[in-house]
Amino acid sequence: MGERPGLIRVGRLLRPVETIAYWLVVAPLLALLPAALAYRAACWRGDWTFRYWPEKRHEVVRNLRQVFGDELGQDEAERLARDIFRIRTCEVIDLMRLRGRARPLRGLVEIRGRDHLDAALAGGKGAILCSAHFGSYMCAFSLLHAGGFPVTSIGRWWWNYPPGQSSVIRRMWDLIYARRVLRHRQRPNIEPWPGRVQVAVQAAAALRANEVVTICSDAPPLDAERDRAIAVPFLGRQASLLPGVVTLARLTDAPVLMLFAHRSADYRHQVLEISPPVPMQGDTAAAFGHCVAAMDTAIRANPAEWDFWFEPGDLVRLGLLPGISHAPAVRYSGAQ
Amino acid sequence: MEEVINDYISRELVQDASLLPLGNATSLLETGILDSLSLLRLVVFVQRQFLVTVDDVDLVPEHFDSVDDICAYLRSRQGGRAGQAVGHG
Repeated sequence: MGERPGLIRVGRLLRPVETIAYWLVVAPLLALLPAALAYRAACWRGDWTFRYWPEKRHEVVRNLRQVFGDELGQDEAERLARDIFRIRTCEVIDLMRLRGRARPLRGLVEIRGRDHLDAALAGGKGAILCSAHFGSYMCAFSLLHAGGFPVTSIGRWWWNYPPGQSSVIRRMWDLIYARRVLRHRQRPNIEPWPGRVQVAVQAAAALRANEVVTICSDAPPLDAERDRAIAVPFLGRQASLLPGVVTLARLTDAPVLMLFAHRSADYRHQVLEISPPVPMQGDTAAAFGHCVAAMDTAIRANPAEWDFWFEPGDLVRLGLLPGISHAPAVRYSGAQ
Repeated sequence: MEEVINDYISRELVQDASLLPLGNATSLLETGILDSLSLLRLVVFVQRQFLVTVDDVDLVPEHFDSVDDICAYLRSRQGGRAGQAVGHG
C-alpha cells in the first residue's frame, strides 16, 4: 500500500479518539452539509481508515478471499475492502441524516417495491421484512417507518451484550445510535437472547396489529441456539442459520418480503428494494432456502455492503470460515 | 387439560427424547423445551384449543414453566370453562 510505518503507529494510537470524535462531533456536523460534500468527506475518512488500519484491512481482504475463493483476485479484494471501509463510514452519515422526520435521508433513497409492502399489509396480518446485515439496513427500516409503515425490528443492540461492557459505553451508543434509529420505529427493538422466551410472541403481537416486523436472517446463531440452526447453501458453503423467520411467518400467516438497501456509485444515493412475498410452501429448509438465496444474491451483487466481512468471528460461526468453534458469540464491534 | 397440553408439548416441542415421558411439573424453560418460537407455537395452540387470549403481560415464566403452570394460568383465564377443550389436535 505504500503507507509509512510511523503514520500507521500514529493512526493506531489515534483511532479510538478519532472514532469517538467522528461519531460524536464530525459526522453530526457533516450530516448538516449538502449531501454531495458530506458523503465525499465520509469517503475520505473511510480511505484514511483503510490506509492506516492495516490489520483490519488485511483481515477484511483475507475474509473476502477465503469466502469467495478464486472468484476474487487480490486487487479486486483490496478494492472491495476499501469500499467496505467507505460504506461503513457513509452509514454513520445516513444515521445522522435521520434527524427530524428523516427528510434529509429520504431525499437520497429511492424505495422500490413499496407496492409489494402495501399489498402485503392489505391482507391484515402484518408483514415480515427479511433482510441481512447489509447496507444501511437500520436506517432503511427507519426510513420505511418515516414513510408511513409501522416498523418494529427484531434485533440486538450490539453494545448491550459483551460481558463487562461499561455502562458509559452502553449509554453512549444508546444516545448516538439507538435514539436516532428508534425515533422512527413503532416500538423498541425486540431483542432476542437466551431466556427471553417472549420475543416471538411480541413479534406476533406486532403482526397481529398489522404492523411490519423486520428481521435479519443472516445472524450467526448463539451457542444456545445452535441446535435449532439449519444448514443452508450460502455464499458457496453450507452455512448455519436460524430459520425463525419461516416459523414466525407460518404461525402468524404473515407474508415474508425481502428487503435490501444498496448504495450507488456516488455513495450518497441508495436504492431500497422490497421483493414480492417469498414462497413459504414446503418444509422449513425449503422455505428458508428462498430467503437465504435472496441474501446470497444481494451479497454477491454488492459484496461491499455486507457487514460481516469486518467480523471474522461471525463468519466462523456462520460456517463460512474455518476456525475455532468458540468464536465470539455475538458481534461486539459494531462501529469503527 | 393437562393431558392435551402435555401431549402437544411432547409431540411438537420436545426435541430431546430423553425428556419423555414429560412430567406435568417438569420445567419447560430449564430443560430447554421452550424457547421463543416454541412458546409462540404453544401460545397459538392454547389460544385455538381453549379459546383464550394470552395477553403479552402474561408471558412470564410463572405461567409457562410447566404443564401444571400453564393449566393453572389457563384456568384462571377461563374461569368455569377450564376443561372444555375445543377439538383435539
